[in-house]
Amino acid sequence: MNWKQWLFGRRELTLALACVAVAVFFQFLSPYFLTTDNLTTILRNSVELLLVSLGITFVLATAGIDIAVGGALGICAIFVGWSVQGDWPLAVVVLIGPAIGTGLGLVSATLVVQGKIPPIIATLGLFGVYRAAIFLLLGGSWISGLPDRLGPAVNTTIAGIPLTAIYILFFYLIGWVVIRWVPLGIAIRATGGNERAARLSGISIGGTKFFVYGFTGLLVGFAACLYVARYRNVETSTGGLIALDAIVASVLGGTSVLGGKANLLGTMFGVLLVRLLQNGFVLIGVPSLWEQVITGALLIGVLILDAWAERRSPNYTRWLATR
Amino acid sequence: MRRKNRWSACFSAGLMLFTAGIGLAQSKPKVAFVPQIVGIPYFNAMEEGGKDAAEKFGVEFVYTGPTDTNPAEQLRIVNGLIDQGVSAVSLSVLDASSIDPVMKKAKEKGVKIFTSDSDAPKSEREVYVAQARDQDLGYTIIDELAKRIGEQGTIGIVSGEATATNLNTWIGFMQERVKEKYPKITLLQPQFAGGTAQRAFQLATDLMTAHPDLKGLIAVASTTCPGVAQAIETAGKIGKVIGTGYGSPNTVRAYLKSGAFGFSVLWNPRDLGYLTVWAGKQLIDGKPFAESNTVPGLDQPAKYDAATKVLLLGPPTVFTKENVDQYKF
Repeated sequence: MNWKQWLFGRRELTLALACVAVAVFFQFLSPYFLTTDNLTTILRNSVELLLVSLGITFVLATAGIDIAVGGALGICAIFVGWSVQGDWPLAVVVLIGPAIGTGLGLVSATLVVQGKIPPIIATLGLFGVYRAAIFLLLGGSWISGLPDRLGPAVNTTIAGIPLTAIYILFFYLIGWVVIRWVPLGIAIRATGGNERAARLSGISIGGTKFFVYGFTGLLVGFAACLYVARYRNVETSTGGLIALDAIVASVLGGTSVLGGKANLLGTMFGVLLVRLLQNGFVLIGVPSLWEQVITGALLIGVLILDAWAERRSPNYTRWLATR
Repeated sequence: MRRKNRWSACFSAGLMLFTAGIGLAQSKPKVAFVPQIVGIPYFNAMEEGGKDAAEKFGVEFVYTGPTDTNPAEQLRIVNGLIDQGVSAVSLSVLDASSIDPVMKKAKEKGVKIFTSDSDAPKSEREVYVAQARDQDLGYTIIDELAKRIGEQGTIGIVSGEATATNLNTWIGFMQERVKEKYPKITLLQPQFAGGTAQRAFQLATDLMTAHPDLKGLIAVASTTCPGVAQAIETAGKIGKVIGTGYGSPNTVRAYLKSGAFGFSVLWNPRDLGYLTVWAGKQLIDGKPFAESNTVPGLDQPAKYDAATKVLLLGPPTVFTKENVDQYKF
């Protein structure tokens, strides 16, 4: 193994280095960048995106995609908002988001598995439906100025560690165990790698897909819960285009849109890099529009490098020879 | 034969009634308004005012718009309305640079097209129905804020969409006012949050981090008000940073009461919608605007500037903790 392979072979390592480089750069230009307060802010602002990206990583690993997550997040947030507003029992307040999220995820899965609709089309359609549903549910008036009932769920720290960080570690650990140590993880990667071969070797393709979309829905619902807890506000644009950010983070992190590969640690660093850039640009006084240019360029750059590395790898040559 | 005749008589009578019905429905001219985005309290209030005016002045009011702040989608909707044969169409412009073709099309088809709430000043619009003069809005927010922070310190700006003409114009006047009148105030470059509270929260927090001595934060778009206010509350900077913005009383009520927002500047969007439909009716009837127009149903006369073709609702209102409960929009 030469140094190039060591450095660029592991995506999470490359990204971690990129994060450090970006951090050093920003610190150079703004003395407030590397302060505990600011770093905590960055992590706090990453929570919802981290959760959604974890789901998206799973979906991408099966060679699927879920564009509807933003809309689903909005719908879940509305119900969470209502439950807080209406002073419903705490158990309902906490569980309603994840429950509805899981349900919506299973709707995506049904369209993809039973309806045999390509995931990008199915979830694009659902995104439109969800957006309209948000408008109908809210009836044009935002849910704002909510009581701080869910505050403790996001503001508590246990032994100096914020509770939100524990949620993230918990879900990523589950994700890691599933993808790495459980037969389901093999099924997920096999489905994305080569669906026909996976089916022939006895893997339940439908079941696997129901799991990944349902799991994503669960995470989206939980993210909605945290969203309401933090902003105490549900507007018609809640959720917005979070699907795109999540896809960017996952792909930066080394998960392939073509399926078969999932890199959870990479996704984590992908989210971190996106948020570091967003934060840093404001701190050094550059209009935030530029950060979108940088993220876009970064994504395209990584994909080009990926394609290039793939073509040079011995596996690719072997694969070509079989054509 | 007889029988057949009777049926055909019935049929033609029905047909006549039907055509007469259409004719009757068409005799009421249609005035349309296309907002920047549907489903937010601000434009809902405009819709309400438009409906009231339509009833009062005997026109049919059509209200339809994009579900996100997408300029292309807005133009598509305006195009559709022109094809459907409305008599007048007004819009709150999202992107002034791409509006000309649709203006031309409206003129060719004899449809009165005008702007309301957000303008395209260089276009061929018939009139711009303005909520308050942009200059007054920009100046008022700076003057009120300056009064509260002792006329010195750093102020940050969180805006919505970077292409929204109205928001950018107000920012321009804020910058002008600070430059002319408050040499000790530093106004930071505006940051753009798009449409979500989450991004506005993030930007506001980052601005407070980058400038620990920040004295004020201006949320320019109504969609950015909750995020900015929440950021001030979360950072524990109530009293140290004064939040403000162009937010409707319903949107900012909780934040005015918590102290995160010191005040909010706006006009009554219901009245603006009302004036918009009245202006549409005047245009359809071919009546010119006078220098000062008494509009039945509005308290103040609407001033008209013939040189810039701007019809003005009136001076902006400042909402504070004390008076916010008088307003329900």
